[in-house]
Formats: sequence, structure tokens, C-alpha cells
Amino acid sequence: LKSFSALHESVLVSQYGQEAETGAALLRGVDLLLQEKVAPFSLALDRGGSTIDGPRRALFEHGLCRMPYPAELGGAGAKFGVFAMAMELVGSADASTAMSIGIHNTVAEAVARFGTPEQRERLLPGLLAGEKLAAFALTEPSSGSDARSMHTRATKGADGYVIEGSKMFITNAGEADVYLVFAATSGGHGAFLVESSNSGLKVGGELGKLGMRGSHTAEVRLVDCHVSAGSLLGKEGAGFEYAKQLLDSSRIVMGMICVGIARAAYDRAIAYSKARELFGKRLSDLDLTKEKIADASIGINAARLLCMQAARLKEAGKPYSSEAAQGKVFASETAVRVCDWAIQLFGGYGYTDEDIHRHWRDARLLTIGEGASEVLRLLIASRELEREG
Amino acid sequence: MNIVVLVKSALDEGELRADSEGHPILVGAATKTSNFDMNGVEEAVKAKESNGGTVTVLSLGGQDAKKAIKEAMAMGGTKGTHIVTGPEDAPDSLATAFCLASVIKRIPELDVIFCSEGSSDTYQGQVGAMVAEFLGVPFLAYAKNIRLQAGKVTCEQNFDGRVVVSEARLPAVVSVVSEANVPRYPTLLQVMVAGRKPIEDIAFGSLQVPEYPRTGTKILGIYAQPSDRKKTMLEGSPTEASRKLVDALRSEGLI
Repeated sequence: LKSFSALHESVLVSQYGQEAETGAALLRGVDLLLQEKVAPFSLALDRGGSTIDGPRRALFEHGLCRMPYPAELGGAGAKFGVFAMAMELVGSADASTAMSIGIHNTVAEAVARFGTPEQRERLLPGLLAGEKLAAFALTEPSSGSDARSMHTRATKGADGYVIEGSKMFITNAGEADVYLVFAATSGGHGAFLVESSNSGLKVGGELGKLGMRGSHTAEVRLVDCHVSAGSLLGKEGAGFEYAKQLLDSSRIVMGMICVGIARAAYDRAIAYSKARELFGKRLSDLDLTKEKIADASIGINAARLLCMQAARLKEAGKPYSSEAAQGKVFASETAVRVCDWAIQLFGGYGYTDEDIHRHWRDARLLTIGEGASEVLRLLIASRELEREG
Repeated sequence: MNIVVLVKSALDEGELRADSEGHPILVGAATKTSNFDMNGVEEAVKAKESNGGTVTVLSLGGQDAKKAIKEAMAMGGTKGTHIVTGPEDAPDSLATAFCLASVIKRIPELDVIFCSEGSSDTYQGQVGAMVAEFLGVPFLAYAKNIRLQAGKVTCEQNFDGRVVVSEARLPAVVSVVSEANVPRYPTLLQVMVAGRKPIEDIAFGSLQVPEYPRTGTKILGIYAQPSDRKKTMLEGSPTEASRKLVDALRSEGLI
């Protein structure tokens, strides 16, 4: 059942040298917890027979969300890449839990990086401890990839802002204590920290998703939603820039979640290929299967390295938009391909057994969410052309 | 209270692979902290929490032993000591116990030493008893329900279906069985803090292991246990085959 392997350890050593051991110790601890408190509930979560709160709480209490933040903010001071690798392990144990925590962390990162001292003091302890759950509200019913054209507006008044609009496909909707809502303002775009207790924030019905069924996703409407001036994250006008930077970071995490999903399906497929016999041979003895195993393994390992390279650039304070997007595109498309192959290998059982096809259903989100592959390819090309120019 | 706990970096049996002749591939094999040692560490940390004092985590081995020490420190160990062996040293149980005891003797006013019932790779279960002998202190084997009070330790031991309640004066060596407790998970912050704590290194060569009498044990060979799966093909129509399946399961006493 162990998920953290010598291969992960070798990636840590190549990236962090002597500091790798602390990262490895952290990941071994996370892995143990996942095997006991998360993985056993994953199928039930997909079927709607369990709630995400238990697995998520176990990880929060363990301190997962503290991992990449400095000690002075209440964090554990680990490398971002180690956190990204932890999210691979979570993705492998349960994709929905990983998705929920990944989105939560994006908001925690927003407060840590762009929040005012007052916002950090008020919100960060709860967010890092997981006592407060967060949601990231950027996408709208009529604008996903084209986020800049958002219709949600925040109008400045005497004692704050009034937000009007609608946000779509919001992970953790209905459960979150705080929503990071992006809105157009007279000075550009703003990001607002809206508490769930605000009567102007209304959560729609649960969306019937293909995958990631353990996590909650809904529309969030902002109707005459009054917020104080202190709810504005950082500076007015910088909201869209914040969103771009947060998504760059989040794409590394989402890419690593995809690596975890792919590995979960891959491990199942490998075990099945050794057990299932066809024409007097095991499936794993057939050359066609071997080719697929090799391709899946190459894809998974390459995806991990691409995401970890982006993590290393982020840690070094260098530009990493293109690399993060590359990691996310490659990892999500690899995950879909590997999970699809796993269904094919299992044949009729793959198509009918939720425990097999759920991996494909989970992976399928991530070629769309947090930047669709098509848009990310445009971003990558644009960054690469700038670099060469 | 001065508490010592012994830990070992053992071969990770879950990752062990055999070559074509059935010999385990030991070169470059993955290691992990011996599973049972976690119970020893848990008992040591509980003793510290109840009585105050320090827990010294002690291990002998190559560089992987540091991982085991750090894990134990993350669980609540106060400080770590590593007797560092080189690839050529390969001490057996007796030499290992001699070295551990030599280092333990340096600790003033020692109260108790915890170890596990055996390591999860070789499971010889010898080192704890040998350490007690070198130190000249009592040894309580296979202990659970361990209580430390007023200069003595009491525990329960399962022997041949009977529960024996034993008592020994302190200091003593206590080997802890796996059902004695449930080892705690260190949180991320505890792992980070443990990662920053220094570990004292002692070179194996500096301990001057005497020309001790060899234990007389010699490993002649290690083989993977063959595990051929039992297969039974049930022929006939679905009805006939299912009847045969039920009969087969009944004959095995499974239903």
C-alpha cells in the first residue's frame, strides 16, 4: 500500500541534496496517514457514501497545509516541492480530498503572499490549521479560460464594497468558511475575502460532476453582498495579477495531483496485468501490455519531474509560469491517458467497476480546471516566445 | 527520568526483491525503521510524558540509521545518538549489544531502556537481552502494560497462554511487544523540528569492540519463501460449478 517510494526519494535528493532527508521524513509521515485515514474511504467518497470531512480533517490536523509556509507565518517551513510531492501522495490516495485541499491552499497562499498584516493575522492561523476551509472563486458561468472578462463587479461605497455577480464550478462551495472572490472594480480587478456568514453570499445546488465526486462543487452567487474595505485582499487593481500568480502556483499542485491519480490507476493496472490470464498467458506477458506499461511509467515519471522543476523555479524566485503550465498540461493529459488505458486493460470490469473508472473520471477534470490544456498551451507558447525574443 | 530507546534501520521487507535463484537482493535494498521499534519509542515517550526527563534515541548502523533516529525524535525523543558503522563493519548481535551498552554506560543516573521484541527484518530478538547483560541490569522480555514507579518497573508478559506479571528494579531493559501500544503519528511540525535537532555521531571503531566470543551464529543463506498460489479450476455449467465452489469452500472450512 505504500505510496512514497525510493523513486520519490531520489527526486528529492536530486533537488534538495542534504535537505532531502527532512522532506522524505515528512512525506513518509504523510504517506502513513494517507494509508490509514484517507485511502480506505476513497471509493466510498466517490459513491457518495462517506463525507470528505474526515480524511481532510486528518490531513489538516497532521499539518499538511502548514507545510510550505515559513515558521513566522505558522508554517512548517518545508520546501514547496515537498508540499507538491505530498499532494501527489494525497492525489493517489484520494483525488477529491487532494482537490479540496489544493484549492484551500491556493487561498491560504493568497493571504500569505498578498494579504495585509491584519488579514494574515486574522485568517492565516485558521487556514493553515485547516480550522477554516477556503474556496477560490474566479470562474464565472460565462467566463472560465477568459477570466479577465468577468462580469462580477465590486462597487466601492462609503464603508466598503458591494459585490454583485456569480461564480461557477467553485470547489469547497457550501463547506468553505471563507471565499476568495474576484471582481471587476473601477480600478481594475480586486480579490475579496468573503466570509460564508455574509448574507449576500449564496451557494447553489451541488453540481453533478463526472468525477471528483467526494469534493463539493457549486455555483456561488453574490447578491447585494456588502463587504468591508478590509476584505479587499492586498491592493485594489491587483486582483487579476494575484489570480495569475496564484494559478501558476496552483498548477504545480494540480499537476502533482494528476501524477498521483495516474499512479493509482497504474498500480491497479500493473497488479491486474500480473493476475489476469489470456490465451494461456498473463496479460503482463503480452508485448502490447508491456508497451503500455512502459508508456505509462515514462509519462508518470516525466510528469512528476516537469512539475518538480517548476516547483524548484518557484522556490528560487524565478519565473515559472510556462514550466508550471507545462507540468499541469503534461501531467493531466498523462493521467487521462493512463487511466483510460487502465480501463481498457480491465476490459468489461474497467467499464463497470467504479473503483477502476473513477480514476479516469477524476483525472478528466484536470485537463479543464485550473487552466484548460488549450489555453495553457497558448500561455506556454507566449512565454516561450517572449523568452526567445 | 533518563530513558533510552533503541531503534534500528531494518530492511524494508515490502520492498525486498529476490533474484532468479530466490536470494534477496540486499545491495541497495530499501530500509525503514523497524516496525516494532515504534512500539518501543511510543513506550519511551509515554514514560517521558508521565515522569518528565529525557529520551535518548540510540541506534547503530550506516547512514540510514539517522532516518530511524529522526523518526523517533519526531515522535518525542529528546536527543539522538548514532553509532556509525561503515560498510565493512557488519557487527553481529553481540557486537551491536556491546556497542550500545558501552554508549548507554556513559549516561549518568540511567532509569530505563526500552527496545522492541525484535527487528522486523531478521527478528532474532537478541540485542535487548544482551544489552541488559552487558549493563548488568534486569531484562523484562515481551512486555506490555508497562508501569514505572518508585525505582521499579512492572509489566505483563504473555507466555504459553498465561499472563505473567513481572517486576524489576530500575534501571532495567524492557522489550516491548507490538500490542503494548499504538505508536503515534508525528505531525509535520514535529518532523520539521526533529529534522533540525543535531544527532551525536560516535564512530563504531572508537568503541573498541574486544575480541569478543562470536555468538556462533552464521548466516548460511537467505531465501525468499516460495509462494505458489493454489489454483483450482471448476468445470461444468454455472450451476454445477457454483455447487462445486460451495463444496470446496465448505471443505476448506471457509463457509
